[in-house]
Amino acid sequence: MAVILHTDDSSFSRLQIGKVLKKAGHELLHADSGKAALALLAEKTPDLIITDILMPEMDGIGLLEALKAQGNSIPVLVVTADVQDDTRATCLALGAFELINKPPKDEELLATVAQGLGRGKV
Amino acid sequence: MTRFDDALIDALREIINIGVGRAAGTLNELLGQHIALEVPQIRIVDQHELDGVAPGSSDKTVSMVMLQFSGEFSGFSTLLFTADCASKLVDLLVDDETPSSELDAIKTGTLTEVGNILLNAVMGSIANLLKSHLNYTIPRYQEGSLRVLLDSIWANDSESALEITTRFTVQSSQITGEFLVLFEVGSFNTFISGLQAAFDE
Repeated sequence: MAVILHTDDSSFSRLQIGKVLKKAGHELLHADSGKAALALLAEKTPDLIITDILMPEMDGIGLLEALKAQGNSIPVLVVTADVQDDTRATCLALGAFELINKPPKDEELLATVAQGLGRGKV
Repeated sequence: MTRFDDALIDALREIINIGVGRAAGTLNELLGQHIALEVPQIRIVDQHELDGVAPGSSDKTVSMVMLQFSGEFSGFSTLLFTADCASKLVDLLVDDETPSSELDAIKTGTLTEVGNILLNAVMGSIANLLKSHLNYTIPRYQEGSLRVLLDSIWANDSESALEITTRFTVQSSQITGEFLVLFEVGSFNTFISGLQAAFDE
């Protein structure tokens, strides 16, 4: 099982996604903005990062850009309500290994997390 | 201002149908209940004409999630519920074990995120079809008189807007909501050009 940093400003989505991941045995860290995620990453090294896009202070695109600039090696999964094709392309170009739309189906979320963990150093 | 002929209105209705259909599919996944949709109503309005939008009269208290968009075309997309329907929706999505002291925050957070997901489904589908990209502001949840809420998001009363409304019903729970999208007048031409290009392909 893995340590996952979940970055989302919505308490509803943190609860829904957190419930599924915890049930699967994963440990969750939470941040409510890209800025908060970066602060947390300065102290801890999760096995995988999940991020929303539309957030205050620093959005998910800003987080991906910052991680790319830092040479991040932690797999990043984007979970967003944004269904636009070029948002997906932008996220993948910035280093996210996958983007899935909210609300993710439980099986889809767990399978994609497993896929990401297979790419990282667990 | 662009004149809408029947073919263009038909194309516009279809593109909105596709977006709202995706949102309905998403709500169906969230609730596990069938969502019935009505045909979108489209009209060009001045601000004072917005009184006619559902749910209920303009003086009625509503729950509204608003997502502002900008890009090649801009405006506001909103999800509207009566207070009663908003409460029913939250009841379906939130555990009974929630402490009563946290109910208001949970209700606001839940409706904001549900609105965010549904409005993104509508607007993102439209953007994809038009091969365009929209930027969004953080979604905002508000309760109050529909008239006051609409006045607060559409401050310039000298302009007209393209108003699109679609009502949906979660049949087994008797929850009715409404998507209301307002395209600002300055972005009509870009929006319509994209629409024509998409359907000419």
